Amino acid sequence: MEAQKKTFPDRAALIAHVKSLSPGHDGEPVSDMVGGRIAAEAALAQIDPIAYGASRNYLDGAVTRLSPYIRHGILSLNEVRNHALQMGDDKAVEKFIQELGWRDFWQRIYAQNPDWLWADIEDYKTGFVASDYADELPDDIANGETDSAAMNHFIAELKTTGYLHNHARMYLAAYIVHWRRIKWQAGAAFFLAHLLDGDPASNNFSFQWVASTFANKPYFFNLDNLQKLHAGPVRLSQQ
Amino acid sequence: MMPPLIWLHEDCLRASHNLFDHAPEAKAVFIWDDAYMNAMHYGLKRRVFIYESLCQLPVEIYAGDTATSLAQLAQDGRDIITGKTANPALKAIMAIMRENAKLSAIADVPFVQMDSPPDLRRFFKYWNKAKKHAFSYDGRP
Ligand SMILES: Cc1cc2nc3c(=O)[nH]c(=O)nc-3n(C[C@H](O)[C@H](O)[C@H](O)COP(=O)(O)OP(=O)(O)OC[C@H]3O[C@@H](n4cnc5c(N)ncnc54)[C@H](O)[C@@H]3O)c2cc1C
Repeated sequence: MEAQKKTFPDRAALIAHVKSLSPGHDGEPVSDMVGGRIAAEAALAQIDPIAYGASRNYLDGAVTRLSPYIRHGILSLNEVRNHALQMGDDKAVEKFIQELGWRDFWQRIYAQNPDWLWADIEDYKTGFVASDYADELPDDIANGETDSAAMNHFIAELKTTGYLHNHARMYLAAYIVHWRRIKWQAGAAFFLAHLLDGDPASNNFSFQWVASTFANKPYFFNLDNLQKLHAGPVRLSQQ
Repeated sequence: MMPPLIWLHEDCLRASHNLFDHAPEAKAVFIWDDAYMNAMHYGLKRRVFIYESLCQLPVEIYAGDTATSLAQLAQDGRDIITGKTANPALKAIMAIMRENAKLSAIADVPFVQMDSPPDLRRFFKYWNKAKKHAFSYDGRP
């Protein structure tokens, strides 16, 4: 057996090599987010877990973009938490550490109930039953050509960068499940194919949380407000 | 005694992962398994990200079917050490490997070290217990 190359003159050469090992994926985009421990440590050095607490719900808030590194174990949750603890007192970094807890929570459920990944954990609490939802993701969503400029913006970002802010994920997931009445499984598979941090547990259980099959109520938002505020490129900012 | 073979898979791409402590001298491998990545729906974005990560790790990359390649690399009877994961597809490969080899799956450092399992029915049930450890270094009790 012959080992594959590990050194390349530049990123383009590495990408060409990965393409040669990935038949059928040639024309697909590549994210600007770079893999590996060096980039992971640089991203960790940049985090601001204190500003995070107040701003994380805004699309331009101090979110960390550590998720792809955490997803593949390049950074452990433990070291990210230990790092955050050095940056402020417990209260100041509480929100950030709690969000790390969400990942731990989903991973524990995954280990205990792998059969829950693609099955409805509970019934929908929307007044509809599972068979009322379509099985397949329509092309206009897959291609980012829906009637909603905001959703199209999120879809394009997902497909090119492989990253979406948590709220953009919540909006897009709710749009797919509740506005378009499509089974959460179809949306989850779409996300997994494009997210760099795509994780069966965090993604699918979050989708079930939005759908209400793993929550006491569905997650909704006001699409009209979002449209009005964000008719152009979406800027859900603090200003 | 023959050193074991370290099998790094996509859920444990870190040189400081506990599993390396179990066999510091051992050769580590990653199997670039196109069929597995297609089954996981991984496009080029994810594949490049993973490959870039591998380039910075003490690991050799072989292309092929994971179980077949691992069996070949461990055919001299050496043990296999890998990272523990909840991923059913990787667990299925581990089960195949265990038919002919001794395979140990080593857990990563935990986020919180709890003395009894938390209630996982809703996040806040979990968090009310986890938060007692989550704010101490290494998540200690
Ligand atoms: C529909 C939907 C799908 C999602 N799919 C994924 C997925 O495939 N993979 C994934 O890692 N996360 C997923 N999330 C959770 C969350 O959106 C992302 O973890 C987060 O947006 C990643 O960006 P960040 O690193 O900048 O996060 P930050 O806000 O900076 O958080 C730091 C870290 O905490 C963890 N984290 C934060 N929030 C959550 C959360 N709600 N659930 C689980 N972990 C969290 C992540 O590891 C993240 O990197 C999903 C959420 C929704 C609503």
